[in-house]
Amino acid sequence: MKVYEESGCFDPHSLTDCQELMGLPGATPTNCHNSLEDTLNVSSYNHHHHEDASAALDMEPHQHYLLDNTTNNNSHLIPYLTQDLPYDQSHWESFNVVPSSTSPEAAAAAAAAGAYTPTPDLLGLFHLPRCSFLPNPSISFETTPGSPSVVYDPLFHLNLPPQPPVFRELLQSLPHGYTVPADDKDAAGIGGLYHDGDNGIIQFTRDISMAGRAKDRDKAGKTTKHFATERERRVHLNDKYQALRTMVPSPTKNDRASIVGDAIDYIKELLGTVRELQLLVDKKRCGQDRSKRLKTEDAASAADAGDVEFKSLGDPDQCYNTSLRSSWLQRKSKDSEVDVRIVDDEVTIKLVQRKKINCLLFVSRLLDELQLDLLHVAGGNIGDYYSFLFNTKIYEGSSVYACAIANKLIDVVDRQYAAAPPTSSTSL
Amino acid sequence: MGRRKLEDDDDNNNSKEFKSKNLQAERRRRQKLSDRLLTLRSLVPIITNMNKATIIDDAITYIQELQKTSQVLSEQLLEMEGSSEESVMPMKLEIAVAQHDMKKCGIKEEVKVSNIDGNKFLIKIIVEKKRGCFTQLIEAMNYLGFELSETNVTTFSGAMLFSSCVHGKYGDTLMVEHIEELLSEMMRSMKTSSQSAIELGNTN
Repeated sequence: MKVYEESGCFDPHSLTDCQELMGLPGATPTNCHNSLEDTLNVSSYNHHHHEDASAALDMEPHQHYLLDNTTNNNSHLIPYLTQDLPYDQSHWESFNVVPSSTSPEAAAAAAAAGAYTPTPDLLGLFHLPRCSFLPNPSISFETTPGSPSVVYDPLFHLNLPPQPPVFRELLQSLPHGYTVPADDKDAAGIGGLYHDGDNGIIQFTRDISMAGRAKDRDKAGKTTKHFATERERRVHLNDKYQALRTMVPSPTKNDRASIVGDAIDYIKELLGTVRELQLLVDKKRCGQDRSKRLKTEDAASAADAGDVEFKSLGDPDQCYNTSLRSSWLQRKSKDSEVDVRIVDDEVTIKLVQRKKINCLLFVSRLLDELQLDLLHVAGGNIGDYYSFLFNTKIYEGSSVYACAIANKLIDVVDRQYAAAPPTSSTSL
Repeated sequence: MGRRKLEDDDDNNNSKEFKSKNLQAERRRRQKLSDRLLTLRSLVPIITNMNKATIIDDAITYIQELQKTSQVLSEQLLEMEGSSEESVMPMKLEIAVAQHDMKKCGIKEEVKVSNIDGNKFLIKIIVEKKRGCFTQLIEAMNYLGFELSETNVTTFSGAMLFSSCVHGKYGDTLMVEHIEELLSEMMRSMKTSSQSAIELGNTN
């Protein structure tokens, strides 16, 4: 077995190696273009029919290598690969050998896909046309013989309407970023990363990979042919982690556990914010309805005494919203830290800021703007930092919410900090 | 990630005993990560598949959804605020209330400055509480070139007590009386400016 050279990108040349590797007994180069269906159907590969993962031989890694790559097509892999690899059109032209496959399906699919290979991406290198298994989207791969199959449909979770096979192929061959318009969770760059056949892929590779192999790490037992898919999978996964990290407002460390931890905190915070906002909206709506009702009552007071009573009985505006609003948020930036707690209409703000300029003025201006009535302020200079505690009360009628306060505050403080000219430490 | 490379190095370079030491740490690390992933999974309501990669996917989707929801809600709130018919207590009324309260408790407006040490002063101000008076006070302090090293503000019965330990930023040694005078004058101007603002507001 040839050692797969690990490089940052896929070298078109290496594909020839792969082809050789994939050279199955009696295989011609066209084998590479056979649909997986075909290979599955070929009698000489009986053991693959069983999908016996433990008997993983040459074919299997290739199978899922193919699958992996083909279904990777919508993933970030493309941008990342296309960046690194100065792919050479001439090379993958040669790969577009018309398959001398047995099934007309495969031929049709390959032909159709062949029309798409000249997309500027490495999918061609990976013999995308071979994702012609797509016409039969319910190919199942089983880890153990006889076990219920995992229906693998790379586009399943996009919830697309049922597509004709060729269209599926089309989708598969779309370069990254061109997700189906119906999919509104869409992609700008990283966003689209994970809305792809990943689910299928990861599941699939896990299923098909050698039984007993460690989840993430491959030790000596790994064959070199797994490098490709395993590496891709890891890279893919890492990109997802990074995507998650970018969504969180104040990310801390850059390792997986803390990314997940930050995400957990942020989700909890978002849930709280949504709840708070909902409460405010309800209260406001309540208040508006009530004032409207009062107005109409006033207007119709004399004559409709009876009506008014009736109205107040079946009062739909009655706000059973006696729940107390409570929320707590923190925002951290490089030089400052903000902690906002709201209980009903009292807001407590803690601010810690690296000493450079006294931003008390700006903070108090912001508080005025936010319609917060200062009840108590305490704070001052502690070592290198300024630390303040503000107890405030929300003026009647204002519906400011925790997230807004925290964000604006940290924003103001950071801006002032940035705007201030660098002073010498002995600024007395 | 970097961890894996480190691991490989450990495996290659170090002896068996190091491997086992690292094994424990590595196990713990993985346990920590897996626990957190479990927590994440428990938070996200819609999960498609149950493997590690999809939980991250689903979390991202969920976060986006929540962000969208909160944005929609906040826009709604802004809209409602614009068309709100609730009456906000007019400022004049507030001030009247404050004055009344203060008189009741016998709190008088006051400015007191004491020199602590060279450039340091302790300033104590009692003023009628109104919107934005704290801001005005801070502005005054800035104007005088004071840097507030320790500040305390409390409000009680319509009055605001501002007490702060300041030191002169610009190195001038102002006289105590001078400062008191300046501050009293500032407060007076604050009062009159707010009065005129109210009147302006009322005539509008």
